[in-house]
Amino acid sequence: MIIVMERWATESNIQAVVNRLISDRFDVHRSTGVEMTVLGAVGSRVVEAGNYELMNGVKEVVRVTKPYELANRAFRREDTVVRVGDVAIGGKDIVVIAGPCSVESEEQVNRAADVVAKTGVRILRGGAFKPRTSPHSFQGLGAEGLRLLSEAAKARNLRVVSEVVDHTQIPLFLEYVDVLQVGARNMQNYHLLRELGKTRKPVLLKRGMAATIEELLQAAEYVMAGGNHQVILCERGIRTFENYTRNTLDLSAIPVIKKLSHLPIVVDPSHATGRRDKVPAMARAAVAAGADGLLIEVHPDPEHALSDGAQSLFPQQLEQLMGQLKLIAGAVGRTLANGLRP
Amino acid sequence: MPGRDGGDIWKWRREIDDLDLQLLRLLNERAGCAIAIGRIKRELNIPVYDPDRESEIVRLMIEHNTGPLDAESLRRLFERIIDESRRIERVTSEVKAGGNIRERGEQK
Repeated sequence: MIIVMERWATESNIQAVVNRLISDRFDVHRSTGVEMTVLGAVGSRVVEAGNYELMNGVKEVVRVTKPYELANRAFRREDTVVRVGDVAIGGKDIVVIAGPCSVESEEQVNRAADVVAKTGVRILRGGAFKPRTSPHSFQGLGAEGLRLLSEAAKARNLRVVSEVVDHTQIPLFLEYVDVLQVGARNMQNYHLLRELGKTRKPVLLKRGMAATIEELLQAAEYVMAGGNHQVILCERGIRTFENYTRNTLDLSAIPVIKKLSHLPIVVDPSHATGRRDKVPAMARAAVAAGADGLLIEVHPDPEHALSDGAQSLFPQQLEQLMGQLKLIAGAVGRTLANGLRP
Repeated sequence: MPGRDGGDIWKWRREIDDLDLQLLRLLNERAGCAIAIGRIKRELNIPVYDPDRESEIVRLMIEHNTGPLDAESLRRLFERIIDESRRIERVTSEVKAGGNIRERGEQK
């Protein structure tokens, strides 16, 4: 942290800031210039810069260190590769995770799993507990949904991702899923994040719809602080003034996160756009931009889906998309993880 | 005449090395004093940061200055020396007070 004092700051203003820095356990490098004094605070402690900004005679506080440590690229120079069974996320392979928004029935989840497995996708997604905007919308099948999802996946050698909405569900999820997803609405549910930090299963953390990249990384920090470093970040669109699409997919978050953090980043083009016809283009763009994977909704019969049908791909669309992604992956020096590979 | 110029630089650099070694010895001696003061401050429960004393040191140096360094240069140089003294006083008092391993590591 660097504190620039005003030209008119008095010696006692400066001394007060130095005093506070010292009591915050910083070492201070004072540099008295002809016009103004600059105080360098040395130390990696995280403090509220605002407290200093409000002090008399302070012109500007420049934060040099980031408010997250474990998720910081500086903490680990090489990319983190999260292992989900025999699938690696964050390595050379681009991993597509696909499946229906919700598990609706045994028949539906099996048909969806068939679609997914047939296209070479390695990880099946599906919601059992649905955090819906309206309490009157379909809320999911709950524990039974998780069991159905897990069985459908096992039968086809797929891994499973599902969203955990409450910390009390964690033991149940540990039994049935390979990756615990934290939804956008729960990104700042610090109690849930802390509890997930105590587990040793991969966590897929979605960016909140009004969260900055820095806030997303701080949320990841909560999980990592508990000792669980297997965090996969997910960009899923943010709220902007544009209302044509459900959210605005922040593709630039991919290279930004790659620079700031060592954690893998996947993109969810389905929630980002909310519209099936826009999903393939955004999926292609995400892979081109350096995403480590995609989270795509696909439904055997999207027009009759109980939730988010409009954004779910038809099975043949997913198949076509996988072919395109393979080409784009090659163009950016990656490979597309494919379960159909011999 | 490159030979003569080169020879002069070499001579002055040796002089600088000599002076730097003296500075090094003096700075460490000074740091030793700071450590002793740090201990006393801890025993008497006096804060490490003493702005009046810091200003006094700079004032004294400027008063005795014969140049060619100007007052501003001296201020900057002594501020850095004081910054380091403050730090070493802090580290000393924390280690004695049961500071953590990290601080101990920093002292090396």
